[in-house]
Amino acid sequence: MTAYNTIAFDPSRCELCNDCNACMTACSQIKAGTDDLLHSRIKIVAGFNGNPPELALCRQCGDPECTKSCPSTALTKNPETGLIDWDESLCIDCLLCTVGCTYGGITYNAELKHVAKCDHCDGDPACVKACPSGALTYITSASIFNEQHEREDLFVPGLSACQGCNSEMIMRHSLRKVGPDTVLATPPGCIPGMGSVGFNGTTGTKVPVFHPLLTNTASMLAGVKKQYNRMGRNVTAMALAGDGGAGDVGFQSLSGAAERNDQILFICVDNEGYMNTGMQASGSTSYGSWTTTTPVGTEMKGKRTSQKNLAMIMMNHNCEYVATASTAFVEDYYEKLDKALAASERGFAYLHIYSPCPTGWRFPSSQTIEVCRKGVETNFAPLWEYERGGELRFTHSIDNPLPVEAYLNLSGKYRHVSKEQLAHIQEQVNERVKSLKRFAGLN
Amino acid sequence: MATPALKMKHPGCAQSIVCDGNEAAAWAVALARPDLVAVYPITPQSSLVEYVSQFIADGKIQAELMNVEGEHSVLSALHGAALAGGRTYTATCGPGLAFMFEPYWRTPGMRLPIVASLVTRDGITPQCVWGGQQDAMTMKETGWIQIYCETVQEVLDTTIMAYRIAEHHDVMLPVNICHDGNYLSYGVTQVDVPEQSAVDDYLGEKDVNWHVALDPMRPMAVDPLTGGAGGPGPSKFVAYRKGLCEGMQNALGVIEQAHADWADIFGRDYAPLVEEYRLDDADYALVTIGSMTGAAKDAIDSARLRGERVGLIKIKTFRPFPVEAMTRALKKVEAVGVVDRSVHYGWDCGPLYQEVLSCLYRAGKPVASGSFIGGLAGADLTEGHFARAIERTAQLLAGTEFDGPVWLNEND
Amino acid sequence: MNTTHYLIAGASHAGLEAVHRIRLVDETSPITLVTRDAHAPYSPTILPYVVSGQSAPERVVLRKADYFTQHNVTLISDNELVAINENDRVASLKSGDQWQYEKLLLATGADPIIPPIPGLSETPFHVLRTMQHAIDLREHAGKAKRAVVLGAGLIGMHGAENLRHAGLDVTIVEMCDQVLPGYFDPRAASVIETAFNDNGIHMVMGSRVVKVESQDNGCRITLENGNSLEADLLLVATGVKPQLDYLKGTSVQVDQGVLVDRNMRTDAPNIWAAGDVAQAADFYGEDKVMMGILPDAVTQGAIAAMDMAEDHALAPYVGGVPINTYTFFGQQAISVGQCMADAQLEELTRTDDDNQRYLKILLKDNRLHGISSINEEMDAGIMWQLILRKIDLTPVKDAFIARPLETGRALMSSTWR
Repeated sequence: MTAYNTIAFDPSRCELCNDCNACMTACSQIKAGTDDLLHSRIKIVAGFNGNPPELALCRQCGDPECTKSCPSTALTKNPETGLIDWDESLCIDCLLCTVGCTYGGITYNAELKHVAKCDHCDGDPACVKACPSGALTYITSASIFNEQHEREDLFVPGLSACQGCNSEMIMRHSLRKVGPDTVLATPPGCIPGMGSVGFNGTTGTKVPVFHPLLTNTASMLAGVKKQYNRMGRNVTAMALAGDGGAGDVGFQSLSGAAERNDQILFICVDNEGYMNTGMQASGSTSYGSWTTTTPVGTEMKGKRTSQKNLAMIMMNHNCEYVATASTAFVEDYYEKLDKALAASERGFAYLHIYSPCPTGWRFPSSQTIEVCRKGVETNFAPLWEYERGGELRFTHSIDNPLPVEAYLNLSGKYRHVSKEQLAHIQEQVNERVKSLKRFAGLN
Repeated sequence: MATPALKMKHPGCAQSIVCDGNEAAAWAVALARPDLVAVYPITPQSSLVEYVSQFIADGKIQAELMNVEGEHSVLSALHGAALAGGRTYTATCGPGLAFMFEPYWRTPGMRLPIVASLVTRDGITPQCVWGGQQDAMTMKETGWIQIYCETVQEVLDTTIMAYRIAEHHDVMLPVNICHDGNYLSYGVTQVDVPEQSAVDDYLGEKDVNWHVALDPMRPMAVDPLTGGAGGPGPSKFVAYRKGLCEGMQNALGVIEQAHADWADIFGRDYAPLVEEYRLDDADYALVTIGSMTGAAKDAIDSARLRGERVGLIKIKTFRPFPVEAMTRALKKVEAVGVVDRSVHYGWDCGPLYQEVLSCLYRAGKPVASGSFIGGLAGADLTEGHFARAIERTAQLLAGTEFDGPVWLNEND
Repeated sequence: MNTTHYLIAGASHAGLEAVHRIRLVDETSPITLVTRDAHAPYSPTILPYVVSGQSAPERVVLRKADYFTQHNVTLISDNELVAINENDRVASLKSGDQWQYEKLLLATGADPIIPPIPGLSETPFHVLRTMQHAIDLREHAGKAKRAVVLGAGLIGMHGAENLRHAGLDVTIVEMCDQVLPGYFDPRAASVIETAFNDNGIHMVMGSRVVKVESQDNGCRITLENGNSLEADLLLVATGVKPQLDYLKGTSVQVDQGVLVDRNMRTDAPNIWAAGDVAQAADFYGEDKVMMGILPDAVTQGAIAAMDMAEDHALAPYVGGVPINTYTFFGQQAISVGQCMADAQLEELTRTDDDNQRYLKILLKDNRLHGISSINEEMDAGIMWQLILRKIDLTPVKDAFIARPLETGRALMSSTWR
């Protein structure tokens, strides 16, 4: 089984540019050398009643109807690229393919007197490059599936995470990649709470897994790693910890292990609070957030102080590797996971993953990735990495961010935020980016 | 740091040196060949971890040394190493022990055979940095084996024995070797250092994670959530908890055997649980614990010279509590005075006294008893203090009871 | 006796789609595919283009040999189903081989109808239903000068155009007054007819052939008005119907074709039918109908296979909708759904004679019932979905009538999201 690259469309972003037609012009240009939109194989059509625009474009379907309706074999699904290739020399212009397609993805071009369809410009789609709003993106994360899908998911099926849980996704992706020669520690929180360490003599993980104290994950793993080094065995010591177990009560042991450069792969799944025990605030809870211990009332409007920037703190330990990541940018995460894993052979590697929580943050479970994405795109959760001895490097552009409302508006925990609070949050975001830029050697 | 050998004293003895209890413990650690030692300094333990660190630096101990950022992580690192199959060691006391508490009270449940010296120190507040057994006594219900030493030599010998006890398959429990801060930690005396090969034979091959492991070659979940009100939870939890209690009780026999074997090989014979001193013809006795016992014995000897029919019972193994041995000893007398180096807040007495009371109930005969508390915060317990204790206990024998504990250093 | 789990008779669109669908859920059970053709699988739709030379037979193979190997399919070519013992689940082939099956799919297609015209059976003529027909016709066309095509249905029209492209003088004779009846209304048909006339094809409409006589190098065709035509190539394209002799003695019920339910099951146990051989539910009415169009053959083959393989994703057949996409001499005609209005339907038309454009929309209760067009850009698949889903066009009616293409795209795009 193979997964393929695809062009993704975000109507809400498309809307921003108000019929710019840039994608269609770019397509017409590259395919026909003209600005005549007749030749565009991507079509943006106006939405109804003020709704965002809609898209007609070949979806490069997995089980395409157009090829089945093609009597001449002019249309074929290319198993290498996943594209539906059209061979002009075979086409008899019967238009039966247009019957098979319900996306308006292959249509008759009256000037060419042939059907025409998107071919992804050989992996470099002109429309995506031309799109000024980022409404069109070329998604290449299929490569992750192709590279990873045969690796075993080392957590058992049926973990009892909430619907839409980002942490479960992170766990499964991460451990699958890190592999079976691993000792995993998951301190109290959602990760063992959903059953990864099992119940009453059962396990939820296919590698040795430990439920350490909330406070001692890093030091305990350091002991494991030391012993295996002594025995001459190469075993990865890996932590999947929440923000409380990493940055609050667990911070001392984390800091100590980082200082000693113990060979640990430490992944902090930051959902900004104690979500497992009912959404209490932690040191990672952001300013203004509603939690059950920073409630909203007449005297208090959510958390009064800002979150600590744990990733930056870890960077200042001069670890072998420190990076932030987001599941909305999973290719970026996989690259960082590779680097972190390699770094953990040399010393301490720390990954900080922003992990919005549908249950605790009050957003629909279908929106997890969208919240992740907006976090990054507003610079609320900037993506960067640091390797010992080098400079901080941004892995997603921090230029031209969306206003922070685009992120805050998605979560109920910010619903009460006032104009003043909003301005304060925006200011904090700007300051954090400014500070990061200094570490990146920018301005 | 090592002292030149003086003379061969016993079979299995490599050399005799002059050292304090902290150094003696470090020699024991060297001979026990641990895989990982994690340290964090605290008075009066500090010189112990300095000795161990230096021994590692000198190659005398071929262990991994972890200088961690606090006692909490010290024991956590030991957890990890033990679960990966390593033999481990550390030492702490007082506030350090308090800070270690979270992983500390978890250790017995995981049945990890970790050995840790407690260089006992009094509790704060008032702020103090001196000896006392309040730290160890506070931990008596956590499931650790607690063995209290009387002499520097005993510290060395018992610390080695601790691995044999902890790693016994019928026990699999952590052991605290308690030696009194100041008195044993800094008290200097001549000690015999056993021969490495004899110690190796005595301890045998280590086998510390046969029952629970973090090992990719035999993956398992270590410490899943257990208990609750439904399903297999309650019975599973009881099985674990009961198993721990059984391991504790098994330890009594294992401790006795470990001491007997030690005596056979190294020629030093210690009462493993309860020592009876001039007790057989005594009408009354003192009960002591730890290093105070030397001065107490001198006081007993002096009283004997005066014609007092007084003896002494010293407890060595406090957890598990040697109920039978203690009851047997107590039955021999009509009155006891129990000298504690710590307090039992709930009963307004010493903790050892409170345990002795339970044994007296079992003894099935009326024995007059009283609690003495002394040696707190490094205060000296001299022969004079014990002479007073003997005198008050003799009054008990005569029927004059007293309320509350006698604070031996109250007027010092 | 040979045994197989799935036996599929017919290797065109319905049969091939069935193989594909079965293998999506059942990777192992043996599939045996029987085709009467000696050629590798192809689409009947391609045949006119083989005649003209635009499509080479070896380049239009729908599945290469290694496909069948890779998917554990036994392909039996140049053989055909001749009898079924439904009780023992045994199919007999022309070769005499017998196959025991668990599940049998009839996808044997349809054969040309030969009209009862006096003299026809004694006269050499062509039909166009198999690759061999196409190859023979192409060979003959290369030597012929004047062709007569009987029938202005799809095969006749495509055949005629391709014979014209091959350089022949071509005449079409059609009984009806218009070309492509049932797919296009007379207005659209006249545009097509005009294009044929403009491209040198003689259109003889509303005319019946009463006699055919063989003569040297060809034949003479006499029409009912007394006129006659001479031809050195005669193509009979007066429709198709399934050949069902192999069903004798079975409980499979037949009418014009094999009657099937919405899961493509016949009345006999363990026997399904799909494609041109099947007579299945009509989207618009109660009577079962013969669809005879390629996309429907694919749909029916898929449904039959999903039912046979017990695929839980199976959704029953919603009924046939007439669909035609037709290009002719560089123009295009598209028709989806009904093309003729009745009293219950709202008819909207737009014409642009200068550009030979025509659009007709039929609505029922503001839901699309049919749409046909000439030279208007049109997404046939989207229109099909709008009909099948009975999407209420009330909020967008004006926009839909003004811009059916864009409006349809927006509607479906939002539906998919």
